[in-house]
Amino acid sequence: MRFEDFEAMLSYWAEAAPEAPALRYNDTVCQYAELLDAVRQRAAEYRAGGKTCLGILSDGSLDCVIALFAANFAGMQVVMLDESLPEPLLRELIRYTDIDALWGDPELTEELSPALTAGVSGGAGNILFFTSGTTERAKAVVLTGHSLCQSAWNGSQMLPLTPADTLLCMLPMAHVFGFVCGLLWGLSCGACVALGRGARYYMRDCKYYLPTALSAVPVLLDFLLRTDALNPELATILVGAGDCPSHILSAAAARGIRVCFGYGLTETSSGVAISTGGDPFAMAVCPDDTITLAEDGEILIDAPTCMMRGYYKRPDATAAVLQDGILHTGDLGRFDSDGRLHITGRKKDILVLPDGTKIFLPEYEAGLIQALGHTELAVTTRDGRPVLVWSGEGDAKDIAQRLRPVMAGLPRGQQLAEILLTPDPLPRTATGKIKRWELQQKAGNL
Amino acid sequence: MTRPEIIAQIKTVISDCFPDMDVSALEEDSVINTDTAIDSMGFVLVICKLEAMFDVRIPERQWQKLSTLGDVADAIQKRLPKA
Repeated sequence: MRFEDFEAMLSYWAEAAPEAPALRYNDTVCQYAELLDAVRQRAAEYRAGGKTCLGILSDGSLDCVIALFAANFAGMQVVMLDESLPEPLLRELIRYTDIDALWGDPELTEELSPALTAGVSGGAGNILFFTSGTTERAKAVVLTGHSLCQSAWNGSQMLPLTPADTLLCMLPMAHVFGFVCGLLWGLSCGACVALGRGARYYMRDCKYYLPTALSAVPVLLDFLLRTDALNPELATILVGAGDCPSHILSAAAARGIRVCFGYGLTETSSGVAISTGGDPFAMAVCPDDTITLAEDGEILIDAPTCMMRGYYKRPDATAAVLQDGILHTGDLGRFDSDGRLHITGRKKDILVLPDGTKIFLPEYEAGLIQALGHTELAVTTRDGRPVLVWSGEGDAKDIAQRLRPVMAGLPRGQQLAEILLTPDPLPRTATGKIKRWELQQKAGNL
Repeated sequence: MTRPEIIAQIKTVISDCFPDMDVSALEEDSVINTDTAIDSMGFVLVICKLEAMFDVRIPERQWQKLSTLGDVADAIQKRLPKA
């Protein structure tokens, strides 16, 4: 079903299947009619409170879901925050997004309350998610209940669920993939959404809730496979939000599970292309979206129903990527002979050196990883030169020695100038991507 | 339970989870991510086993802050019932 917004979605299912389970959290079951009632009641409380912008310190619980829907019903701006972020950063985000009320762990909300602002005007309907910040500081992406519902509809057209299905939501709802593909995908189809009980239960949730569908990021799927945590009823897994080694997808498929891979961005309210055939990396474009390729292979997305309103308070950043309604993704792709989209790399993962030399980092780093047998490394620039940042114990001279054959095969401008050792882990996003901007800052201080 | 006993138990759990890892050189100030090469999901596994072993519950929000073996021991020690 295609719904205009959250209220239309919950109202429809509360009318059509009032006693059907909408949400499960631990041993609590909330039926669709109960969910709508709870959301409306909380929305009335929020209206009476007069606040304008609710920050959700998301813990994925039943009450968390009720709060976020209620704030949207009440016409508040909603900001999805990752509660595991350091407090100083959370305070910064609260001030940046004009939050005047918080939902979350009482101790944490108390601690953060001095950062609350006077609120916002004109934010009704906005739902803000933060981008992963792969290449620069995180930006808040302004989405709406409408755009998120259209995204859920798009996904369900590719991978339909039924009211008999149980979708397990294990991903953080503060990330748009977790929110749309872990929650809205199920609710828009009238399915039961089982709310994961947190990282502590990763190994147990599948066998506890017995889901038929699951959304996962690659590292989580790998973990579930390695710990034999998947249940036999599980029929469909949607993987997204990061590059996924094919052996992980194959291992899941070998269990008779339909494994699909999705591509999308926070800016497009989640997925715009999903694989539905035998090859998980060959993705069909979702019905509402049009994807074309620029001359250099950059993926350009026209997603009129799902596109962001823009980056919050960042018209410059919005204008840089959204031109005439077309999103310039920074990702590179190609279409195969069947018209399926394949992701081939990331344009923003290109280093452009002062002499005009370009280094395509995924390919370059893969060569280094293969030569060195060490995965915790990344390449960036320092003083305009490419340098290797090596995380963990190592000896720079030994590493340089081992890299000699690789470097010998590269143009001089692409050869590494230095090996920088750090005991710290590489800065990565929640989905494992290297935060290039942060890495560059780090390299400058090593 | 004494602090050295807690550290020893942590090392045992790491060893159980990652049999190929040499835990003998690990000290209180060993950084889990780099000195042991345990990834984020491996860390979840270790913490879950430690919680079960010591019958304690460390809030998930705190997990990000547990950098060294000593940090993990602190988190466990302060939640153990007083003798």
